[in-house]
Amino acid sequence: MNPITSSTSSTSGRFRRTARTGLALVLPLAAVAACGGGGGGDTSAEAGSGEGTISVWAHQGQKSEAEALQNAVKSFNSSQGKVKVELKLIPETDYTKTITATSPDKLPDVLEFDGPTMANFVYNKKLAPIDDYVSAKTLDNATDASKAQGEIDGKHYGLGMFDSGLGMYGSKKLLDAAGVTYPKGVDDAWTADQFDAALKALKAKDSDGKVVDLQEGSGYANEWGTYGFAPIVWSAGGSLLKDGKAEGSLDSPAVVSAMKTFRSWKAYTDPNTDGNAFAKGRVALSWVGHWMYPAYSEALGDDLVVLPLPDFGDGPKTGQGSWAWGVGADSKNAKAAGTFLDFLLDDTNVGAMTKANGAPPATKSALASSELYKAGGPLQLFSDQLAKPCGAEDISTSCVAVTRPVTAGYPVVTAKFSEAVNSIYGGADPKAALAEAARAIDRDFSDNAGYEIP
Amino acid sequence: MKTVEPAPAAASGRQQGPLVGAPAPRPSRRSREWLHGLLMSAPAVAGLIAFVGIPFCYAVVLSFHNVRLGSPLEPTFFGVEQYRRLFTDPDLSGPFLRALLNNLTFAVVVVPLQTGLALGLAILLNRKLKAIGLFRSLFFMPVVFPMALVAVIWRLILARSDQGMLNSALDAVSLGNWGAFDWLGDGLTAMASIIVLSVWQGVGFQMVILLAGLQQIPGELYEAAELDRASRWQQFRHVTLPGIRGTLVFVALLTSVLSFRVFDQVYVLVKGGGLDEDAARTVMYQAVTTAFDQNNIGQASAITVVFFLIVVVLTLIQRRVVRPDNED
Repeated sequence: MNPITSSTSSTSGRFRRTARTGLALVLPLAAVAACGGGGGGDTSAEAGSGEGTISVWAHQGQKSEAEALQNAVKSFNSSQGKVKVELKLIPETDYTKTITATSPDKLPDVLEFDGPTMANFVYNKKLAPIDDYVSAKTLDNATDASKAQGEIDGKHYGLGMFDSGLGMYGSKKLLDAAGVTYPKGVDDAWTADQFDAALKALKAKDSDGKVVDLQEGSGYANEWGTYGFAPIVWSAGGSLLKDGKAEGSLDSPAVVSAMKTFRSWKAYTDPNTDGNAFAKGRVALSWVGHWMYPAYSEALGDDLVVLPLPDFGDGPKTGQGSWAWGVGADSKNAKAAGTFLDFLLDDTNVGAMTKANGAPPATKSALASSELYKAGGPLQLFSDQLAKPCGAEDISTSCVAVTRPVTAGYPVVTAKFSEAVNSIYGGADPKAALAEAARAIDRDFSDNAGYEIP
Repeated sequence: MKTVEPAPAAASGRQQGPLVGAPAPRPSRRSREWLHGLLMSAPAVAGLIAFVGIPFCYAVVLSFHNVRLGSPLEPTFFGVEQYRRLFTDPDLSGPFLRALLNNLTFAVVVVPLQTGLALGLAILLNRKLKAIGLFRSLFFMPVVFPMALVAVIWRLILARSDQGMLNSALDAVSLGNWGAFDWLGDGLTAMASIIVLSVWQGVGFQMVILLAGLQQIPGELYEAAELDRASRWQQFRHVTLPGIRGTLVFVALLTSVLSFRVFDQVYVLVKGGGLDEDAARTVMYQAVTTAFDQNNIGQASAITVVFFLIVVVLTLIQRRVVRPDNED
């Protein structure tokens, strides 16, 4: 019985009220049921006819990135008549939450996601393997690091247009003025002590004593806290997660002492509230990723040098992995989605995108022809780092680029670790903060049966 | 000289109350009124049930389960485990109890401070001046801005470097003797900073309500008080305050309810960097991050249930203590 029609046909006010109250009671329950019922379903999308309209979701990052993507969609739509792409941009800060909160059948055919969140979406049955839908050529052309990030149990769920890397940007002029010698490449990275000495030498020449930028203005209790400072953990021989357990690897004595050292650098750190500390020349060093290269190279020109992060004992490390593209698990037109991905991952589009955001291309052919990243290019350091991938598990002294843990429990890992980084930087005891984070991560994994992908 | 402008035709409809039983109370009429009362309250009650009652019951149910956002695992019954963790597990209860304490501190400081300040401003703005409208709008302006925007601006004011506006102002005033201070990062001043920015943003709203209350006080009362040679303080004490007592109680209640909801400013300032998360964490902030950053719906529900009960109890106590005169 439909309470709305019955109440309009009835003349009894009393009944109308009852019906209305009933409706008010039932509507939220129905909404709740709709939300709860979205978890099921099967993770293989339907191939479909390969023609028609497909929906695409992407994050809205920098303006130049969004423009590059919009241009790619425009040229795809005009290049052929079979598939039409409808692009929807969602602000970056809410992007992952949006996908998390959307049930699989409401997700688009093609969606972008941040690398470390992929395992969670596979676990939630929101992504389908793309091996059958993209061409073999596209898969072959992806770099090993990009493929490693997108792979679970031998199936590929995501491929990126670009990768990422961390480093230290330096101002040659300021470093030379303070008499600081700096590394030439990954192999002679500063040790933590040498870096400390460099900061002291720079401080002696600086008017306000703030000589380094750690991107404090972005806050640390978020993904930047994890991405930016997990390399300290890895470089000290630790790990965010080892064999599904954080205790013992995240809070080992070496990691605790490395985090203590990290905290001691707060005294030299410019809070960078305006985001311009390095570009305006207030500081000599900036600990940040490839994405600042376009802005920094414009501001400093030939004065800019790119250095690896300091070595805390087990060799310098950097994070790896970035936004990737995949196919929604409930897509009814996965073949058309694959056609679009093939187009998106060709040299033209990868080239345009990486030009827009300065990121290392995630395809072999685009990397080889990249002005910035090819051997001898200004950002060769980043491709050198990415050429020595560790994967997520086997972190040794010889590899450099570490993939963040590929697990459906990553949201908790990153939330707890970044919270610990934030509170350590704010003055909390590193040992207690890291141990607490490790316990919280382990408790969450045991609550969820280890996040085994069913 | 008059300090307070008499409001024209002070119609204090608020004091009169509904027309309960004004005409002859015949039984049929009474039941009819009861029916009308029910009818009139129905939309509000329905809204209350739909948007407070049902979600709250649902939260109670969820808090007894291990539920994850979007997890393929079936929710499992957890018993009181979520509550046990909140109160006895040192890792979880530490931040939670700290958040509760922060909330209480915030409410205890903000309610008298903001109400008092709003009263002061309202009295200040309740006079005959040229361009008084302009002044009133100026003081009301911060209310119009969304809290997220206000928090972003205050981040620049409270920044820890000597480029922070507050630090550079203090530096100028102290002739260069003031070093850069980390207002948001220091455990002692983090909450204080949140309080100051919240009061600044919210005080205009309370001010407007009190201003309306002040304008309802008949001018004759002040004239009579002046004839009795009452001093300005005596006029305030014996005419103004009793005249706006009901309004004042309403404003205090409203402020305390609002002050338990502190969330936006903490969220924005933490994301912006440099905020001492532990010192500024509020219960709402913890519930939202637990639910949507860590996908732990069960735990977040338990937090909100506990918090709801605490707020209800506090509000009941408060209502009992500061009951307005005209309430039956």
